[in-house]
Amino acid sequence: MRGPRALAGALALALPLALSLALPVAAHAQATANTLSSRLDPTTRVAVQAIVDSARLAKLPTAPLIDKALEGAAKHSDGPNIVSAVRQLSVELGQSKRVLGGGASTAELQASATAMHAGVSSRDIALLRSAAGPHRRVTLPLAVMTDLIGRNVPVATASQVVVGLARAGAHDSDLSMFERNVRLDIERGADPSAAAQTRARGVMLRTAPRAGTRPPGNQ
Amino acid sequence: MSDDKLFEDGVIERIAGELRDAERPSAGFDARVMASVRGIARARQREHRERRRLWNRVSQPRTITVRPWSVGLAAAALLLCASLAGWGAHAFARMESAAPAAASGGSQRVQFVLVAPNAKKVAVAGDFNGWDAQHPAYQAVHRGGGVWSVTARVPVGHHRYSFVVDDSLWVADPTAPRVVDDDFGTTNSAIVVEPEIR
Amino acid sequence: MDGSSDAAVVARVVHGDVEAFGELVARYRDRYFRYAMHMLGNREDAEEALQDAFTRAYRSLSRCDDPERFGAWLFRILVNRCRTSGARRGRRLKTFVSDDMALMDASEEHPAERRAWREEIDRALARLRPEQREAFVLKYVEDLGYDEMSVVTGVGVSALKMRVMRACDRLREMLSEVHSV
Repeated sequence: MRGPRALAGALALALPLALSLALPVAAHAQATANTLSSRLDPTTRVAVQAIVDSARLAKLPTAPLIDKALEGAAKHSDGPNIVSAVRQLSVELGQSKRVLGGGASTAELQASATAMHAGVSSRDIALLRSAAGPHRRVTLPLAVMTDLIGRNVPVATASQVVVGLARAGAHDSDLSMFERNVRLDIERGADPSAAAQTRARGVMLRTAPRAGTRPPGNQ
Repeated sequence: MSDDKLFEDGVIERIAGELRDAERPSAGFDARVMASVRGIARARQREHRERRRLWNRVSQPRTITVRPWSVGLAAAALLLCASLAGWGAHAFARMESAAPAAASGGSQRVQFVLVAPNAKKVAVAGDFNGWDAQHPAYQAVHRGGGVWSVTARVPVGHHRYSFVVDDSLWVADPTAPRVVDDDFGTTNSAIVVEPEIR
Repeated sequence: MDGSSDAAVVARVVHGDVEAFGELVARYRDRYFRYAMHMLGNREDAEEALQDAFTRAYRSLSRCDDPERFGAWLFRILVNRCRTSGARRGRRLKTFVSDDMALMDASEEHPAERRAWREEIDRALARLRPEQREAFVLKYVEDLGYDEMSVVTGVGVSALKMRVMRACDRLREMLSEVHSV
């Protein structure tokens, strides 16, 4: 039976070749999936994967969700807590996409989700988007807003200050300097709210305000 | 003690003395801690047994008999591998975003510095390295005087990270914006990396 | 409780003797509960933070580099937990319920006055900024040196000294307001 033997021979050559092409690519995906497997218990991994799959269907970035799960594993958090954190982040990414629009970058969505997690409302994020103008990325302003809240500036004040700075045309470099100065003032004992409002006024004096802009807080 | 005298000297000592008088945890506290600890121990044992069971199954030698009809099976396997390659590529693209970025212009070199005079080991862990405090590229070096630093590639974008001191203490970067991110009981720092302007 | 060192008990736990962890709990729970109470202001939060710290310590026990200094390592975990708990729930300016048994020891003051004074101290402590409260309690209640405080908190010595100084100023100010009425 030459025919079948010849076919078997051809397959014997082709099979290893096909495997050698398929396996490295599948292996990388498998290796990454193995990372989640090796760091999460099976129940948690399945739950996280379900959230990731739903996020992908909703065209949301999935890397932040995987990273959140890995963070939880690294910090020895329990499974339900990890799943809860990943789910919450997924919700916040979805809300961010609705507020910032389909053109928002992954970085902006992540920064927005982080700000929402800190307590910033969708409304204030929408105000920031509008104040910054259509061509300006809001990643850094959102990070500064989150930082202020983390240093005990009330959420409303932090939002108002950063939106005001964006409206006044402050650049990312101005915002970075502003964040640094507020941080140092607070470390020296200043009241966080006062520090944020005072330093914001300083930035406003240096930047060219748009017509009708008023500095935030009390004069 | 009169009010004036109270506030001339030793007020701090008096306050501290009061505060050293303290309550104790409620009865049953120890039992609750131990119940939680026993639960963790049992879960670990179950996981260990499961891993051993899977490993035993995978590592058992098997005899494979080849028959003529297995040629058709090999052909089907070939088709399966071809489609796996397609699936694998898709999964790779899906998972790629979770891997550290290649140093191809989509990342910048960033210096991380922490002053920690009593630390024996300092590392950086964040979403750019899978929160892996053992990642070799993110181990800080002690430069003297309690100053630890590492310069490493961070992909363009918004990231969260933390220093890990002595493999146990998660410390936010004092010089970086904070993230109100207490999902797992520690504060993280944020970094926004912009693309290089050419 | 036997006289084994912390390192010996840790070694037993790491090698599978889960019940031995109970010895470590018994050794540290009272002192660290006191710290958690001062930081968080109420029994429920303090017990939850301390229980969480013990659980986390058990989970990562094999990573404790210096088991002889288990206590300091556990304290670092607790300090972190208290920071998170305080941040998440917000500080609650509630009336501190003092344990009468703790306060009814020999005192030349009337018990009711003594209790009132203690409540004023607790209220003033609660009104400090979290990082100042943390530094004050570690320094003056837990009697740590600044180097130890630096290890436990991850904060530099000079920043800690400033926080302690500010805390003392604020406490004096607040408590003198109370007594000047």
